[in-house]
Amino acid sequence: MIVFLFLLVILFILLMMAVSIYNRLVRLRNNRQQAFADIDVQLKQRHDLIPQLVDSVKGYMGHERGVLTEITEARSNAMKATTIDEKIAAEGRLSNALAGLKVSVEAYPDLKANQNFMDLQNEISDIENKLAAARRFFNSATKELNVATEVFPSNIIAILFNFKRETMFELGDQRATAEQPPKIQF
Amino acid sequence: MFPLVFFLLTWLFFFFNYFQHENYSVELVNRNFLFTIPWITIGVIIWFTIAWFSHSAMIRAATDSRPLQRNENKRVYNLVENLCISAGMTMPAINIIEDDSLNAFACGIDTKSYTISLSRGIIDKLNDEELEGVIGHELTHIRNRDVRLLIISIVFVGIFAFIAQALLRSMRFGSLGRGKKGGGGYAFLIAMVLAAVGYLLASLFRFAISRKREYMADAGSAELTKRPLALASALRKISVDPTIEAVKRKDVAQLFIENPGVEDKNRSFSLGLLFSTHPPISRRIELLEQF
Repeated sequence: MIVFLFLLVILFILLMMAVSIYNRLVRLRNNRQQAFADIDVQLKQRHDLIPQLVDSVKGYMGHERGVLTEITEARSNAMKATTIDEKIAAEGRLSNALAGLKVSVEAYPDLKANQNFMDLQNEISDIENKLAAARRFFNSATKELNVATEVFPSNIIAILFNFKRETMFELGDQRATAEQPPKIQF
Repeated sequence: MFPLVFFLLTWLFFFFNYFQHENYSVELVNRNFLFTIPWITIGVIIWFTIAWFSHSAMIRAATDSRPLQRNENKRVYNLVENLCISAGMTMPAINIIEDDSLNAFACGIDTKSYTISLSRGIIDKLNDEELEGVIGHELTHIRNRDVRLLIISIVFVGIFAFIAQALLRSMRFGSLGRGKKGGGGYAFLIAMVLAAVGYLLASLFRFAISRKREYMADAGSAELTKRPLALASALRKISVDPTIEAVKRKDVAQLFIENPGVEDKNRSFSLGLLFSTHPPISRRIELLEQF
């Protein structure tokens, strides 16, 4: 009788442990999903700022049609992208286009004196930094989830309830394009 | 954290049991003990409650700081915001202390009251990377809920102080004096010694906790920013001039990133080090460079 009760208590304890591990996995997965959505917040802010930037530049950089059209096209591309890979590719193209603009602006001292333009430029730089920070957080949330799905006690629960190892934010195919310096057209 | 509290609490009871063991007239001791305990508990609870609710206002008044708006100093605001995003933390409030010397601290015990205060000197004299390191250090303090731990440990040190006082008082006015003459004096001495030892050990404990947390905050900052050398160089610049003239109170001073109270930086080991709230800067810089 005593042995039976003892086993029951042990079973209860194990059950409690399993429940807490499962809950932890759920939290980690949701953290990662939120981190992913937060990246989109930054991306959207960038999309919203770009038309203003292009407008403020148009008057000065009439000859730099190429750079401006590239930015506008890249932006609409990014807003249309649906799958993750498409998004990564489109946003990468947009980042490149913006970097190209920054370089081209060097040739226009009048533009650099325009306070409005400098403010917008700083805002976009800040958004790029925030984007990087959001991606770093996404990666660390992914790492935590991956570790939890692989370490010993939790991997049992993970397999039982279908928690898989997830991918980090990686450049993948885009790495080759990203590693090239932005094109400078004069 | 709570195991720590529990440890201190059991320690407290251990001391009382020890005390009762040595005494001859146990019933008298028990009665005195039970009489004084409610007062001590009430006193501590009141102390705790006051500290909990008003400490950020007290600190702001003690250091003469005011909140910082984003448009006032975008550079600082963006540094803090970006670091918070990369850590997945909600942003704390930012305060600025109008003082030329370099120092910074974090305070706050819940999401609504978390605040980071930076001095004007530190904002102007450090470059972006170094300032990021300092902010990372303070954010790690917030993430580890260090101020809450500090308040709890200070309260416990206070409990021991209170008990020492209460024992003294109950001995003098209580009925123990009427017991066996030799017995009464003996018990009194033991009580004082135990209370003093308890107070001393609790204090040492509290300072050790504070030092360990400083190391952890340094490590947290290095992990957050991935640039430990930036924080090392910031600490070097800070060690030159950390004293904020307006701040005299020792209690507040120990929350700062560097406590100017410890003068003995050159000696490798001194008794003063055991009682300092911050580890020596040279050691902190060493550890960061090895990261």
